[in-house]
Amino acid sequence: MNLTVVSVYPTLLGTYGDGGNVMALRHRARLHGIEVDVINIEPGDAVPESAELYVLGGGEDSAQTAAANALRADGSLKRAAERGAAVLAVCAGYQLLGEYFPDANSAATPGLGILDIRTDRLPKRAVGELAADPKEPLTQTLTGYENHAGATHLGPNASALATVRAGIGNGDGSEGATTAHVIGTYLHGPCLARNPQLADLLLGWAIGRDLPFIEEAEVTQLREERLRTVLG
Amino acid sequence: MADTDPTREASAELRRTDRVRCRIGQRTGKVAVVTLSARTRAAARLGLLTSSLSRKMGRGEGMVIGGRVILRLAPDAIAEMAHDRVAALVSATNGKTSTTRLLATAVEQAGPVISQNTGANMTSGVAVTLASGDPAAQAVLEVDEAYLPAIFRATKPRVIILGNLSRDQLDRMNEVAMIARRWRDMLADATDTTVVANADDPSIVWAARHAPHVTWVAAGQVWTADSAVCLDCGSLLQRDDSTWGCPNCGFARPTPTWTLEWVDDHGVVHGPHDQRFDLPLSLPGRFNAANGAMALVATVELGLDPAESARRMATVESVSGRYAVVKVGELTIRLLLAKNPAGWSELVDVMPPAPTPVIVTINSNAADGRDPSWLWDVPFERLRGRVVVATGDRRRDLAVRLLHAEVDHVVIEDPYAPGAELPDGMRELAVVDCAATYTAFHHLRTSSDRQAARRS
Repeated sequence: MNLTVVSVYPTLLGTYGDGGNVMALRHRARLHGIEVDVINIEPGDAVPESAELYVLGGGEDSAQTAAANALRADGSLKRAAERGAAVLAVCAGYQLLGEYFPDANSAATPGLGILDIRTDRLPKRAVGELAADPKEPLTQTLTGYENHAGATHLGPNASALATVRAGIGNGDGSEGATTAHVIGTYLHGPCLARNPQLADLLLGWAIGRDLPFIEEAEVTQLREERLRTVLG
Repeated sequence: MADTDPTREASAELRRTDRVRCRIGQRTGKVAVVTLSARTRAAARLGLLTSSLSRKMGRGEGMVIGGRVILRLAPDAIAEMAHDRVAALVSATNGKTSTTRLLATAVEQAGPVISQNTGANMTSGVAVTLASGDPAAQAVLEVDEAYLPAIFRATKPRVIILGNLSRDQLDRMNEVAMIARRWRDMLADATDTTVVANADDPSIVWAARHAPHVTWVAAGQVWTADSAVCLDCGSLLQRDDSTWGCPNCGFARPTPTWTLEWVDDHGVVHGPHDQRFDLPLSLPGRFNAANGAMALVATVELGLDPAESARRMATVESVSGRYAVVKVGELTIRLLLAKNPAGWSELVDVMPPAPTPVIVTINSNAADGRDPSWLWDVPFERLRGRVVVATGDRRRDLAVRLLHAEVDHVVIEDPYAPGAELPDGMRELAVVDCAATYTAFHHLRTSSDRQAARRS
């Protein structure tokens, strides 16, 4: 079967290797016998509304504002999320899914209102390995690298994705946010390459059935090494 | 009145200053007198002594500690020691060490030149370099992107080369737009400096376009992902093979005065009035031709003979170990420095074609960048059809990346150990290409030096 993944503005939102999330989705899907069609959408292109899965990465401040403005004007991503499409958004992409986020001059900038979150500034930039224990249905500790200055506050309509064990995350001991089939996170790494269970969860939502976990030795070894490094 | 100024004599005596005759500007042939305060002289001596002690104790080159001593004792030492003798500063994300070496070699046509020979390109490295060698020599200095504004203001160079900007060591927060903004502010009132800037890199153009004196060089840009967006208005830039521009606000590529052409594996630099200079460099690849083109134009701005510059630059065979062929353990390797996606995407073309196996070494120490997520921006897919040996502290990150790129690989902690299970045919290769991040590269270089020392 075929699955359409939309990579949203990869030139604006892809500074920290987050393009790897699309590669990881394609790779995991193949392990499960699913072929993925990737559509790269740049500002100026209309965002397709009927895809099953949307991916947004991190980016610099001015690129983040440009992306948020273009996506708000386009409107399709919000409609797709509301009808239940799966969305993964990382770092700057995560922040812009919320009600507002700080721009390059720390002024609150309106986001897309897809996630019930609000982001302002951390007192000190969060840079380093991040490890967090996820909520159901995920069971494997999340591992990645964070590099952001955002303190993200969750409203009642969003749940934390995980509880921080090492690093900063949202800034209050929680990491990421989720609602329906939308996941936002501060994890780079890229997060789907380092957390294949998360990739499988998104793919499962996109195709409408749970996928059995398939282990790969390289990935397991990397995860063990990273978690050992930060958790001892 | 006699030709001495008593007030000045007295104050000079009071400050116990030295006078050092120093050459500036071959074009004008002017000679300046530089006065170094006793404080700076003493600081420089102590700093050099500290460097040398640190080196003898086997703690690296000692540039950082030596520079710290100098700047702690004499905070203005860089400005004093640089006074009117800095011919050029060179900065870029990629190629600054090679460009600096090429330029320093070319500028030697006008007399002695001091320059870093270790790649120590932050404040302390610059301080130690200026404190060492012939105090009358001209200086050609490589400078880290983030430190450039401070060092530019202190050294007041005659020329500054700005090569390219792309993502690198993001854990140090060097986002490209931030660096470009700092460079733009630095150049706003740089009336005594000629900027030699790459017209093909929009971030460089954005930083340099309002500088009082700019010479644009079309040196090329292979990696465009970090200059996708107009820094003025946030629109997506439009590109074709030869030019770029913003469809919204009109920010566009300036008309270059000099253009690099890549013909039959070497560079040709075209200048005004049908000038044409071949660049038969010993350093490989188009990106080194771009480095050479920027250096060549800088020598023109310094009033030197470009044909002689090109001849001299051709003699540079290896820069601080880059492309050097060394023996490590049982293998003879060619050292390639590959530290970020832009550098990598050019380096892949320098490697032998598949199925020749290669070694890739990834570390994540401070100087490499702590976060190896950038591996996912490197087009490793282009290494398909061969076996890659994944090694270094972050070999497991590399293995996962290669798995996704569908590149065959083996993970080996130490491929230079006698019993290492290397891919078929690797031991039989006369020279194995080994691409390594910064600290891995230096480790290999020094291991091979130690090995050579044991043999002799």
